[in-house]
Amino acid sequence: MSMISEALVILRSIKPAGLLVFLAVLISLAAFPLVVESPYAHHIMILIFLSVIMGQSWNILGGYTGQYSVGHAAYFGTGAYTTMMLMQYQQVPPWFGMFAGAATAIAMALIIGSICFRLRGPYFVLASIAAAEILRLSALNTKELTNGAEGILATDIPPLKIGSLVVTDFLTKVPFYYTALVFALLIIAVTCIVQHSKLGFYFQAIREDQDAAHSLGINLNLHKNLSLAISAAFTSLAGSFYAVYIGFIDPTTVLSMDMSVQIVLICIIGGIGTIMGPVVGSLVLVPLSEALRSNLITQGLISAGLVSEESPVGAFLKENLAHAHVLIYGILVVVVILYMPEGVLGFVRNMVRARERSNS
Amino acid sequence: MDSASMQPVLLFLQSLISGILVGGVYALIGIGLTIIFGVMRIINFAHGDIMMIGMYLTFNLFNLFGIDPFASVLICIPLMFLFGGLLQKLFVNRVLNALPQNQILLTIGLGLIMSNTVMLIYTSDYKILTTSYSSGSFKFMGISISEPLAISFIITAVITGLLYWFLMKTDMGQAIRATAQDRQAAQLMGIDVRRMSIISFGLGAALAGTAGALISPTYYIFPQIGSTFTLKAFVITVLGGMGSVIGATLGGILIGIAESLGAVYISSGWKEVLVYMIFLLVLLFKPSGLLGKSRV
Amino acid sequence: MKNVFLLSLLALCLASMPISTAEAAVKIGVINSMTGPEAPIGENLTNGIKLAQEDLRKKGIAVELIWEDDTGKPPIAMSAMEKLATRNGVAGVVGPYTSACSNAVAKLSERYKVPLLIPAAAKEEITRQGYKWVYRMNAPADVYASVLIDSVLALGKPKTIALIYENTDFGTSTSKTAKAYATRRGIRVVADESYQKGSPDYRSTLTKIKARNPDLVFMVSYVADAILLMRQAREIGLQPKAFLGGGAGFTTAEFAREKDISNCVLSSTQWTDDVNWAGAADFARRYKAKFGKEPTYHAACAYASMVIMAETASRNGGNRDKTRAGLKAGTWNGIMGQVKFSDYAGFTNQNNHQMLVQQLQKGRYETVFPAKFATKKPVYPFPKW
Repeated sequence: MSMISEALVILRSIKPAGLLVFLAVLISLAAFPLVVESPYAHHIMILIFLSVIMGQSWNILGGYTGQYSVGHAAYFGTGAYTTMMLMQYQQVPPWFGMFAGAATAIAMALIIGSICFRLRGPYFVLASIAAAEILRLSALNTKELTNGAEGILATDIPPLKIGSLVVTDFLTKVPFYYTALVFALLIIAVTCIVQHSKLGFYFQAIREDQDAAHSLGINLNLHKNLSLAISAAFTSLAGSFYAVYIGFIDPTTVLSMDMSVQIVLICIIGGIGTIMGPVVGSLVLVPLSEALRSNLITQGLISAGLVSEESPVGAFLKENLAHAHVLIYGILVVVVILYMPEGVLGFVRNMVRARERSNS
Repeated sequence: MDSASMQPVLLFLQSLISGILVGGVYALIGIGLTIIFGVMRIINFAHGDIMMIGMYLTFNLFNLFGIDPFASVLICIPLMFLFGGLLQKLFVNRVLNALPQNQILLTIGLGLIMSNTVMLIYTSDYKILTTSYSSGSFKFMGISISEPLAISFIITAVITGLLYWFLMKTDMGQAIRATAQDRQAAQLMGIDVRRMSIISFGLGAALAGTAGALISPTYYIFPQIGSTFTLKAFVITVLGGMGSVIGATLGGILIGIAESLGAVYISSGWKEVLVYMIFLLVLLFKPSGLLGKSRV
Repeated sequence: MKNVFLLSLLALCLASMPISTAEAAVKIGVINSMTGPEAPIGENLTNGIKLAQEDLRKKGIAVELIWEDDTGKPPIAMSAMEKLATRNGVAGVVGPYTSACSNAVAKLSERYKVPLLIPAAAKEEITRQGYKWVYRMNAPADVYASVLIDSVLALGKPKTIALIYENTDFGTSTSKTAKAYATRRGIRVVADESYQKGSPDYRSTLTKIKARNPDLVFMVSYVADAILLMRQAREIGLQPKAFLGGGAGFTTAEFAREKDISNCVLSSTQWTDDVNWAGAADFARRYKAKFGKEPTYHAACAYASMVIMAETASRNGGNRDKTRAGLKAGTWNGIMGQVKFSDYAGFTNQNNHQMLVQQLQKGRYETVFPAKFATKKPVYPFPKW
């Protein structure tokens, strides 16, 4: 009952103009693979969706509930490993496996949460890192179960069937594209519902002041764990998707602290605690790191005639820019934190507001 | 000595001693982090990268000017102090009142910049600093003790002693401790909190750099080395109680011993799990750390 | 908000348009770990390929190389391959370095039908999946161990072996085959210890191994840990009949320079500079002149891979299908000895490369096994510290 009334509140809060934009974006995203054939473009879009799922899942715990976990690799890895192990060793198709993965991740979240949520602030951050590290090291050392550092390689993905009808056989990127899109929309919808529901208000109350929330009768432990469970379940879906899409996982790629940091970055660069934040963060980070990595910027400068390929500057850029992309990434992080503390989204919003104020 | 007849007692003592000696260097890294945290309440994710800078500094001093790594500590301390102070003044001071996740990300970003700048300059080759005593050892009651580790342990002890004296007995040390205890009260009492922050970050960086210098004759150097030590430093600091210098010293040695004994009696693969388990257990049952005052 | 969306969509549409190919030079993609944790080894491959590019130019073979950094991460390696295959329209790809990246990329090369020549990734499974478009230059992980064990069995009668290796893909898979092969040859495994790369203290692990008194100590590590392990082995007085190093760190110039601790260590390698393969010595000399350091086997593998890929692709006018057929049919004689991609023992398109065993003698790597390539007699057992 309350779900319906909450949904009505959400529906009422949507403005017609916003709805139109949303529908336009949705249609263009749905039509994208039909119009653009390049698998490279599909791949980049899939990475963006994956990053949205990761960022948005973290957002529920970090952004709305104010618990800055730097150990989300634990849930990402749990999803990836559960799905992959079921698929490779038990021949369970991944579209069932991923739910098993989500269930395992929730169980994992309850264990980790019961330890970490006793702590606050920096202690919570460190405990979440430690929990994820324990999981990574365990995956490395339980060779019989996880194949250790050698990782698990997917051979074939069984085709998705309804009855005897083959829906898709996952041979091209298009089924992955739509799967990732649906997951991304799903987590965005969940975030919307959470934001406008009573649950979301509790979450935000905990974020603003734990002790005040507690004195208002909000069960801190229950709500923190609920938030973590939702967050972990969707993070694990991202992990499952990653495992099947990439086809290879090992502890250093899916369970490392790098992965945890990357998840946090998406959200904070975009704007924390907002629905569009992780989306903006993904739209900034994924294309940017791809452009930096593949040296598109130098190529662009050269082909635009700004820098000659033979000139020392051009040669220097060509030689070094590809090596420097993580450096530029680091500089970007520092600049965002110092000059856009509310993320790119907050920065743009403030700029728009400032302009409106000067106009009026 | 016939190695087959190595007695269990000797095996235990041997690994205990190695653990304590390595733990000395860990302690130094932990103390640096604990000072920074104590004064600013910021978890410095770039701590390991600062240590890496200290290692490259030592490496260059040795290769270009032939300065012994242990002697280079004298140059390393002031230079790294300036470097740390500069980082604090230019970057960290600006986020002192920002959200905690932004502080964390700022230090992560700074760490990325440091490691990748070093990589552009020196490439990512492993650098190995070989001194005449790098693989030297002496026997003490049947236990072999690494010469460079023993020397670095002594230097660590001296530095820790000096630092303790500085914090306890000097005016500036007391001002730093006051800031760590209560920032606002310290400010009201006329302590220049920003200046104290710069000095503490400088101190933290100097200690991390020194640890880098001390470990370089027995270890190796590459730009991405920082993250391993950052994580270790976190564990040590929490174990000892954030902000406690003596706690971090004990924490470092404890982690050294746990790793060493864990490798012998459990397995080298699981020894790190043991370290994190101890870490979580301490967080759970004594979150203020073994020696810290509760701030949770 | 809307603008960001539309802009990125527009950018993607632009990005997905094919680039016109005006010049006649044949395009070859290179995927390598140029940054990130694998970069120290990746750099050797980069250098090897740069030298190959120079030599190809001298031979009048015009190649345009498109460099892609995978930062050691499989999804990024996949991005690189997608881009090379669909946007740059390369005739073939050389790389990536790591096994994890190679695995991910191999699947794509099969899908897009782009010939892929993997220069130095060790994981056996890569060429065991029946791929038609994936070729590998180096011998896979199992040979690293078997050639070493064969060489000591030719010298004496070791009874026991202790394994110590880093818990990475390369470390674990090489040790696994070492364990299996040793057991098959009647050597008992008395210790099996993996370690976390980058920890400063291996003394306790080595002490534990010393207590088991093994005849052979088999190690798999990268260069820095290789030196550390040997330093600390000497410190605690570990004294087996032979120290065996499985490739990687035990075959580097840095390791050789540490004469105190590296002398008489046996190691398996894909390539040595004193082997009598055509042009090996000359390659080593020119490499050293250009980059100021000794080439590793990674560099040699990458060099040979690039030369073979470029020559084959250029002869076939950049046609992918013909290039693939050319790789399958050809035989080359160069710095890697005879190269031929064949199907055997479950492998497809795998160069059945003869690995070598070398021993450090007075700071120089001397090839000691197999006998027909040997330049010096091996020292056995390992001299007292």
